[in-house]
Amino acid sequence: MAEIIKGRGAYEGVMEGEALVLPESVQGWAGLDEKTGKIIEEANSKCGAYVGGKIIILPGAKGSNGWASHWNSAAEAGHKPLAWVIERLDSRCAAYIVELGIPTVVETETEACKVIRDGDLVRVDGDKGLVTILKRAGE
Amino acid sequence: MLKLTEYEREMLEGKYGRFKQVALQNVVKYAKVVDAEELVEVTKSTLYFGAHSYLETCKSDDYDKIFAKMYLCTDEDVKIGKFADNCYCQTCVAPCDQYDYEFNHLPKELFERNKRYLKRTLEAGCALAGSCTPYLNGWVPLYGEYVVTSESSNVTMSNSAFGARCNADGEEAITWISICGRAPKWGYYLPENRYADAVFHVDCKSETRFDWDIIGYTVGRLLPNHGVPVLDGNFHRPTLTMLKQCFTAMATTSACEMCHIVGVTPEARTIEEARGNKELRAEYTITQADYEESYRQICSAGSGPVDYVVLGCPHYSLEDVQQAALYIKGKKVAPGVEFSIWTDMSTREMAKESGYLDMIEEAGGRLMSSSCPLVMDPIAFAHVNALVTDAGKQAHYMHSSMDPARHVPIYYGSLEKCIDTACSGYWEEEN
Repeated sequence: MAEIIKGRGAYEGVMEGEALVLPESVQGWAGLDEKTGKIIEEANSKCGAYVGGKIIILPGAKGSNGWASHWNSAAEAGHKPLAWVIERLDSRCAAYIVELGIPTVVETETEACKVIRDGDLVRVDGDKGLVTILKRAGE
Repeated sequence: MLKLTEYEREMLEGKYGRFKQVALQNVVKYAKVVDAEELVEVTKSTLYFGAHSYLETCKSDDYDKIFAKMYLCTDEDVKIGKFADNCYCQTCVAPCDQYDYEFNHLPKELFERNKRYLKRTLEAGCALAGSCTPYLNGWVPLYGEYVVTSESSNVTMSNSAFGARCNADGEEAITWISICGRAPKWGYYLPENRYADAVFHVDCKSETRFDWDIIGYTVGRLLPNHGVPVLDGNFHRPTLTMLKQCFTAMATTSACEMCHIVGVTPEARTIEEARGNKELRAEYTITQADYEESYRQICSAGSGPVDYVVLGCPHYSLEDVQQAALYIKGKKVAPGVEFSIWTDMSTREMAKESGYLDMIEEAGGRLMSSSCPLVMDPIAFAHVNALVTDAGKQAHYMHSSMDPARHVPIYYGSLEKCIDTACSGYWEEEN
């Protein structure tokens, strides 16, 4: 049976895709290269990961106020995520949710970064505030 | 359910023009994302304008089109109008110095394009300040005032030192808010979210600006996600210049937006006042060992020749410039070393009249304004083989900004250590 994580739907729409989990979050400025869509934060365990076409799972934003700008610029260059799952909403993330208008679930009841793993097939339902793990990576 | 005033409804219906209408539409969406019930009037703003390199993914030469796409987040051809009458707006840092591009190896085309972009936003009502420390020169929010700012450390400074109400938002949301003069009432705008939930007992060196830089970095790396720290203990009382260093480093290693310091910041006359009834999520003592660990994380190991020394992150105050000028007076920067200090235009002018500019230039350094290496185009430091700075933020971010294949060491030390290194051309590892 599919695992379901409950939260609050912050932006409407439903999207399915492969998860990229960022448990340490990521800087926008000097963390995401907008021209390649790759994480460039050296100390981050996900350095080198590509964000385009992924369901991004993260605890919240961190670092500079330019966080949303770099994600927005990456999207403009063609590296746009499909949906967001954010454990706890902060204003940097909120701004970006509006900018891209992709399905988003926030304030998850369980720590999504611990439950969801890289490569899991996930459905984000921004209307109902539900995140469903449809298939585990490697299964 | 979001409640709007009559004025806000009229703006949303387009009575005050498409520019303001689009901005408020975005703010209303923002309010829905965060579940806000009303909007507040915002009266101060700093904005990240100019020809910043991240804007280049938008393929256009027309700044109005770039502005519509990258700030207003619309494909519609919305012309730039006027910022809100009730909200004073000024610029944050730009991608090049206000007066010079050659010293920083930047193309004249970028310098001129930056001027062109800033002229357009100036016409819209955004004054030219070029400052990431606006509170040093008149942009001082009052207790309880709702403000927005492009600079992360100024979010923490506004909330913590001045008791103003400020959220981080992000550059685009700050732009919408500055155009319509309204922001969702949520986050740190609400009193209940301002209480501390992480206690830090400071038990390490705290005498200098450099010490407070490391304290800020340390608090940031230990702080739980979305935590609000309160600092107490038998620390040396910080000044404003120490706080700006502390909050800047803290906003680098965390998403911290508010930090209480018992007996120093206005909502923390006591630790009980700072904490309210909020549940405690973490409690730490910052020991000298934690301080040394942060230093090791920031500073590259070893000794070696250097060719780039930079001070002024965040922008130096006149007090900081004075300290640097008096220390470098009579010394000489080593051949082959680029030494620059970064501040804003008004501080540079005061430093000039005070004779500090001459002292720095006679030593072979430069006093630059309105930008810094972090926000300049990477071409500005593509030639650098070893960088030295007195700021944890600068060191932290420059690690990611440099080509990883080149393994450029980034050294970190006090103002005095940095100047000594600039003059010797060689970094001696601290024992």
